[in-house]
Amino acid sequence: MHFIFSDEAVLLFDFWSVHSPAGMALSVLVILLMAVLYEGIKVGKVKLLHKTLESLPTATSQQLILETDQDSAGSSSPPVNRTHLRWFLCHFGQSLVHVIQVVIGYFVMLAVMSYNTWIFLGVVLGSALGYYLAYPLLSMA
Amino acid sequence: PLDHSHHMGIYHMDNSTMPPHHHMTTSHSHGGGDMMMMMPMTFYFDFKNVELLFSSLVINTPGEMAGAFVAVFLLAMFYEGLKIAREGLLRKSQVSIRYNSMPVPGPNGTILMETHKTVGQQMLSFPHLLQTVLHIIQVVISYFLMLIFMTYNGYLCIAVAAGAGTGYFLFSWKKAVVVDITEHCH
Repeated sequence: MHFIFSDEAVLLFDFWSVHSPAGMALSVLVILLMAVLYEGIKVGKVKLLHKTLESLPTATSQQLILETDQDSAGSSSPPVNRTHLRWFLCHFGQSLVHVIQVVIGYFVMLAVMSYNTWIFLGVVLGSALGYYLAYPLLSMA
Repeated sequence: PLDHSHHMGIYHMDNSTMPPHHHMTTSHSHGGGDMMMMMPMTFYFDFKNVELLFSSLVINTPGEMAGAFVAVFLLAMFYEGLKIAREGLLRKSQVSIRYNSMPVPGPNGTILMETHKTVGQQMLSFPHLLQTVLHIIQVVISYFLMLIFMTYNGYLCIAVAAGAGTGYFLFSWKKAVVVDITEHCH
């Protein structure tokens, strides 16, 4: 098996079959956007975490940071129940984002597995573009 | 000779510029192309004759598929847990730690202190050897999960995704700050 330049491919699903240059261009665009989204989600998860920590009362967030650094076993007093619920919901949301990241990552991998060079270039370009656009957002507070 | 010209003939009729021994097609099937046809290239939902990683693991009944679903789910969960555990072990075993703090503008005009930690680990120390062994296990499991997803079986793919989500939810519950955004393919 090796990379080929071709206008014919079947990507991921039975209904996604490409026969023409226009179809291939559109498919490459979709895969490109998927790769951009993947990089964006990676940064998005970190931003979500920072936002969660900032929105909690300062004492609680420091307590959470201390808990992770020391890995203490039940030595700290539990935060207020309301804050605990907020943290739970935010963490649940983060887990959903993680599932989406996993699925998109695998979809992009399977698209590359079609061994179509155009698709592969779309993935590379999309990853580059996504990283370029998303990474600066990380250092913004 | 007759076979060879017949072989060439099919590809000549095809308008494609592929070399004769290339088998990657979707529209024609003949003897040489069978190897590509056996591996599905699109998602499907079925529990019959599903090969899972090893030649002795073939799923044929709904019961076996349910068992495979649970096993894959647990494997994906274990993978997420292993990632978190490695991070924790790494933090606990750091030797030379250098801190430098710098003020960073936060929201609403506040000033946050951003602290950078530079850490090191001795090469022949037990923690580093343990990390290496865990790394190998992590790499193998991640490739297994990739190969499972590559079966294109809908049930098994859902098991991978759900297991990853559940594992992430359960194990990074307390992990607040240390996140590695440079990890690729999760």
